[in-house]
Amino acid sequence: MRLLPRLFLRRAFIFSLLLAFAAASSEGQAAAQFPPDWMNAVGLLADKIAAVTKRGEGLSVEVKNISSLSAADVDGLRQLLVTDLSRRNRRVLTESPADAVLQVTFSESADGYVWIAQILGGDKENVVMVSVAAPSHRASTKEAPLTLHRKLIWEQDTKILDFGILGEGTAGGSSTLIVLDTDRLSFYSSEDKGWKLARTVDLQHGRAAQRDVRGRLDLQAGKAELPGAECTGDFQHPETVTCSSITTSADPETPSQPIAIQGRSVEDYAVLAGACGDDSLTLASGTGDWTEPDFIQAYGGRNLSAASQPIQVPGPVLELRRKDGGKSARVVSRNLKTGVYEASLVSVSCDD
Amino acid sequence: MKLRLCLCLATISVVLAGAAPLRPARRPHYGGALRVEIGATLQSLDPAGVATSREEADAKAELDALLYDQRSEDGTFVGTAGSGPFRLSSWEAGKRATFAANRDYSEGRPFVDSIEIQLGRPAHDRVVDLELNKTDFAPIPPEQARQAIDRGVRVSVSQPNELLALVFLGSRSGKEGTRIREAIARCIDRAAIVNFILQKEGEPAGGLLPHWSSGTTFLFPTEMDVRTAKEIWSQISPSPKLVLGYDSTDTLEQSVAERIVVNAKEAGISLVSRALPASGKASPGPVEGSTRGAAIRVDARLVRLRMPSPLPRISLTVFINRLGPIAGIVDSPVPQSASPEDVYYCERSIMNSGLIVPIVWMPQVYGLSARVRDWKQPAAGEGWPLADVWLDSTDPQ
Repeated sequence: MRLLPRLFLRRAFIFSLLLAFAAASSEGQAAAQFPPDWMNAVGLLADKIAAVTKRGEGLSVEVKNISSLSAADVDGLRQLLVTDLSRRNRRVLTESPADAVLQVTFSESADGYVWIAQILGGDKENVVMVSVAAPSHRASTKEAPLTLHRKLIWEQDTKILDFGILGEGTAGGSSTLIVLDTDRLSFYSSEDKGWKLARTVDLQHGRAAQRDVRGRLDLQAGKAELPGAECTGDFQHPETVTCSSITTSADPETPSQPIAIQGRSVEDYAVLAGACGDDSLTLASGTGDWTEPDFIQAYGGRNLSAASQPIQVPGPVLELRRKDGGKSARVVSRNLKTGVYEASLVSVSCDD
Repeated sequence: MKLRLCLCLATISVVLAGAAPLRPARRPHYGGALRVEIGATLQSLDPAGVATSREEADAKAELDALLYDQRSEDGTFVGTAGSGPFRLSSWEAGKRATFAANRDYSEGRPFVDSIEIQLGRPAHDRVVDLELNKTDFAPIPPEQARQAIDRGVRVSVSQPNELLALVFLGSRSGKEGTRIREAIARCIDRAAIVNFILQKEGEPAGGLLPHWSSGTTFLFPTEMDVRTAKEIWSQISPSPKLVLGYDSTDTLEQSVAERIVVNAKEAGISLVSRALPASGKASPGPVEGSTRGAAIRVDARLVRLRMPSPLPRISLTVFINRLGPIAGIVDSPVPQSASPEDVYYCERSIMNSGLIVPIVWMPQVYGLSARVRDWKQPAAGEGWPLADVWLDSTDPQ
């Protein structure tokens, strides 16, 4: 008979240890998935709640989500807040009666997330809040027989017309990124994991600015062209490159013959060398205009049927061109969220 | 593996065929004349000139933004006409104007060659012209947006960014003034105004910022409470007779004012509406107006305020600067580095004063023809982006 309470106490102790471990583990899991600024914001919100409640006060928590946060994120944030409040000696109760009701609303403003706590007790109501920058869109990947990969190479505020990489993949040699924008031709040399500016050549425009300027780099010929200006030289040796104004009236870009993809006429596309059993693959962007996010998708076969899942691009694809060698495509797009122009390479891999 | 591939490809094809609209090529084209119709009968495009109504002031600001490249600190346009994306090529006061693309514009020549603007076109005629493809672009009053959609007009609706509010003119102070304001604020049926007058294009307003901007509007109630309004009104003795003013040229303000009078009557409040002479300023007009020489005393008036920025701090600051002197609000500054919490408490203190009663948030609505491409609904504070649009076909028909 005397053994029973002792055994019970030991089991209760082990059980409570397990519970504490599980709670710490789930808190850790919840915390691990959030950016540091979210964690700090939850801590700050707990501080503010603690400042308007009493030590040991029992709070019943109600949570509402009127933002773009997912239900899983809200659940994780709730857990974090409850833990943070417990650390500040506030008792979070699951059942009434509580000393006060804590209504937490996950909201969103033009600046980002706003997390608001209303503490309702007696006749008075306290409102405290914290703000958090909204993260950029989380891309989702789906399984597909053929997969497109987009690798961001460069981004800048000025509109990129074209770009290219010389010396890529050569053993021991450094590579050069060449970016043609509306104002200059820039050469960057590869350094560690980034690009370092080596030289810029300002463009001498012979024509007034256009709203839809197009330009093109021909790395093999050592030539960059855009309306009213031209640059020539050996692009392997940037110091030899010079730019001058010209008086051509037409854009350097010769429009490619439109092709029909799934019933729509497509002007901008890039034909890549065969991959994954297809003789050739055609990459094309979406159907919206320049105010919408876009996508790039591969099409193959005689009927140009879809051969990959689309990959999302956070803004319109402005240029889509075959890269030398035909294994990937050069893509210039504009990120509608940040406003910057992005140069990226899109390549294909097979899922076997 | 092959079967899985086939199934997968078949699925993609079906999804794309169903989802992707068959639209023409997307690279912008230069050329063509954009046909625009507006309601205001502008007599001048001079930025220093005075507009005679709110509608004129708004239209002038939009058109000046196409002609001038620079703004002064107070938001008015300065510099040389034609320094903007367009130049004035013909002008017939109150009737029509033609703008030509500025080929030397620093941000690039606009895509369209010209804009042909017809002035003084009533809202109903604008909708009909859009329906008949006689115009490419026209602002539509929010209360007519649903009707335009039903008639097959292509409509672009912004986030709600224009506040219609009732402002007490600070003539009654003390406990009695507070009670009067609270009774009026509680008796207004905002949901009915949105549903019936605005035809569901808008949302009830409880605060000075819309939800998409501040994220805190749920903290400001918008429900009507006739019982409490009656109770509060019964405590005021003797019951005053109140006058609510509205802009005589604004049919929406008139409808809302008349609705508020009906709501007030249900709560036993003695309130009548009176038309006031139009004010050319975008900000609210004088405390007292006059019609045919007779002075009109008003206790409150309706005002419309467009957000100058999507950012809550900036919009609240501008609203306070505009309404503060009229309503007699003193010392409610928004700090330069205000946090969302600071903005909320500033907004809360103004709401607690009861001097401003937000009624509804309204969107900006535009009708567009099918050939207008790259149209992007301007954000709060932005002008019409007519330099960025292009025409799919230069032939209007």
